[in-house]
Amino acid sequence: MTASAANPVAPVLDVKDLHVEFDTYGGIVKAVRGVSFDVHAGKTLAIVGESGCGKSVTVQSIMGLIPMPPGRITRGTAMLDGVDIVQQKIVNGRDIRGNRVGMIFQDPMSALNPTMRVGDQIAETLQVHRGYSKRQAFDRAVEVLTLANIPEADKRARQYPFAFSGGMLQRAMIAIAIACEPAVLIADEPTTALDVTIQAQILDLLKDLQRRNGMAIVLITHDLGVVARMADDVSVMYAGEIVETGSVDDVFYRAAHPYTLGLKAAMPSSTTPKDQGLRPIEGTPPDLFAPPDGCGYFARCPHAMRVCGPSHPPNVEVDPRHNALCWLHHPDAPRTVSELHRRVQA
Amino acid sequence: MLAYTFKRLIQGVITVWFIATATFFAMHAVPGDPLANERATTEAIRKNLEARYGLDRPVTEQYVLFLGNMMRGDFGISFTQENRRVNDIIRESFPVSATLGILAVAFAAFGGVVWGALTAIYRNRLPDLVITFLVILGISVPGFVVAALGQLALVDINAWLGFSLLPIAGWGSIRHMIVPSMVLGLGTMAYLTRLMRSSMLEITNSDFIRTARAKGLPPTRIFLKHQLRNAILPVITVLGPSIAAITTGGFVVELVFAIPGLGRSFVQSVQQLDYTVIMGTTVFYGAFLVFMVIVVDLLYGLIDPRVRLE
Repeated sequence: MTASAANPVAPVLDVKDLHVEFDTYGGIVKAVRGVSFDVHAGKTLAIVGESGCGKSVTVQSIMGLIPMPPGRITRGTAMLDGVDIVQQKIVNGRDIRGNRVGMIFQDPMSALNPTMRVGDQIAETLQVHRGYSKRQAFDRAVEVLTLANIPEADKRARQYPFAFSGGMLQRAMIAIAIACEPAVLIADEPTTALDVTIQAQILDLLKDLQRRNGMAIVLITHDLGVVARMADDVSVMYAGEIVETGSVDDVFYRAAHPYTLGLKAAMPSSTTPKDQGLRPIEGTPPDLFAPPDGCGYFARCPHAMRVCGPSHPPNVEVDPRHNALCWLHHPDAPRTVSELHRRVQA
Repeated sequence: MLAYTFKRLIQGVITVWFIATATFFAMHAVPGDPLANERATTEAIRKNLEARYGLDRPVTEQYVLFLGNMMRGDFGISFTQENRRVNDIIRESFPVSATLGILAVAFAAFGGVVWGALTAIYRNRLPDLVITFLVILGISVPGFVVAALGQLALVDINAWLGFSLLPIAGWGSIRHMIVPSMVLGLGTMAYLTRLMRSSMLEITNSDFIRTARAKGLPPTRIFLKHQLRNAILPVITVLGPSIAAITTGGFVVELVFAIPGLGRSFVQSVQQLDYTVIMGTTVFYGAFLVFMVIVVDLLYGLIDPRVRLE
């Protein structure tokens, strides 16, 4: 059948060297510059990074949701079970979206059609992808709502979105996304618009559903707490590139890129002394109208070397399955990683 | 819902009373009266006539009398059209105006939604530019010009064809109604097109359309079930006042196309200071307008579930 079924080691979704550009009045924005990642069935990959670094554009371009034009995928592949869904443009086909890949968004309050019953909005997906009758699809929609922990699902399915709270709407969105039991669920900042207790419930729900049907989750977030709770692997994005990727433990405890270290240092914890202020990363990300030739983090990096300005850093495998896009790991670099850690922790 | 309907109806009655009162006193404030126009009346005849119509009494008394009669649904007898009751005038000519108005509104609403949706789909491309140009033309050219040009065009077309494709004036068959209703609905259609276009564009970029696309729905389904239904809401909002405006504002078209509608009586009565006809038609039109707005507000709830709760 599918490649992943035949070979359990192969990733369900394998994105390679993805480039996305946008034409704007100010010029061409190179929003995504050679992003690669993969995610396996039953696993969660978190993509983290600050606003505007290209996280959402990456996943939306894979889903074919960026407006084209002005958007454009200039290079790269995204293999879903061994079939490229980007270059063949089959992502626009119904088979992928909503069926094999589900997606949930940041703001559940505006993500549902206000003039359509919630149950119908779920049923619609099943009618289109599964060829269910209206009745059949609605019954299944009620089941899916129950799976998404919505109490009194048969009553709720007949209500309109305005009757739902924010957390309930996000559950309904999740129900829409999982209705066809997708192989991959893309969650684009699913908890950013929700308050903290609801956040935890939504994350637990996602984990629970993943255990149940073994889907892979690509989680976009800028909340490292959410990453620690949810992810198996992490990719850190900066200025349209993935600068570090590895397992959660690798990235959290053995961070190999100065940007990751900066993010961690900026995060306050319960043990941070009261008198110590926050430690932000100074400066702003580079202008993506004219991305730098060298390292995107060069201007803000406390460990920058002369080579970092003009030359693009190599992708170095610092540990098995733990990569960093940084000159510091070059054999000729004067500073070692352990030295780097000491400096940051001091 | 019932309480809401009741409340709106009460408000409507108050509005109509206000319209009637304001019109009554405004009308009496205008110099002259219905009899001033009369040929060579002697003082005695004038006195007699005034007594007959009650014009010799103080204005406030006349007002009370008028209100009493209005409550019973009686607007009296016309001053200028001999012995015709105002109720009869309305009864005979309003159906003509209403038919014309309904056709015009249907034409405007249908055209507005279709053209508006098309301009949004083809945004900034040729069809959008062409339609937008026509829309601006439709908004800026006054109705009487369009009416005259429409009639002229019809004459030319009929002459060129050698037979009468559509009659150029008069009333009676469906063929008489086509061109006048198009002319009458044109301005509103242009306005609704603009409204529909901006509404569509706003919806196209909304989150729930992105959700619909992420669900993998076919584009036609997204358009019909998600986009159109939401985009049409502002159009429905203005439809109520539009219906009233078109139905009551048709007198120019009625005059140009020689249509025996109420608009003509309305304008003539004002020119001749025909007190009873002025009051009858104004109150009738006012009540009609108020009623249509209420109907559309109730209709709105059918399409937008959020409104139903209130």
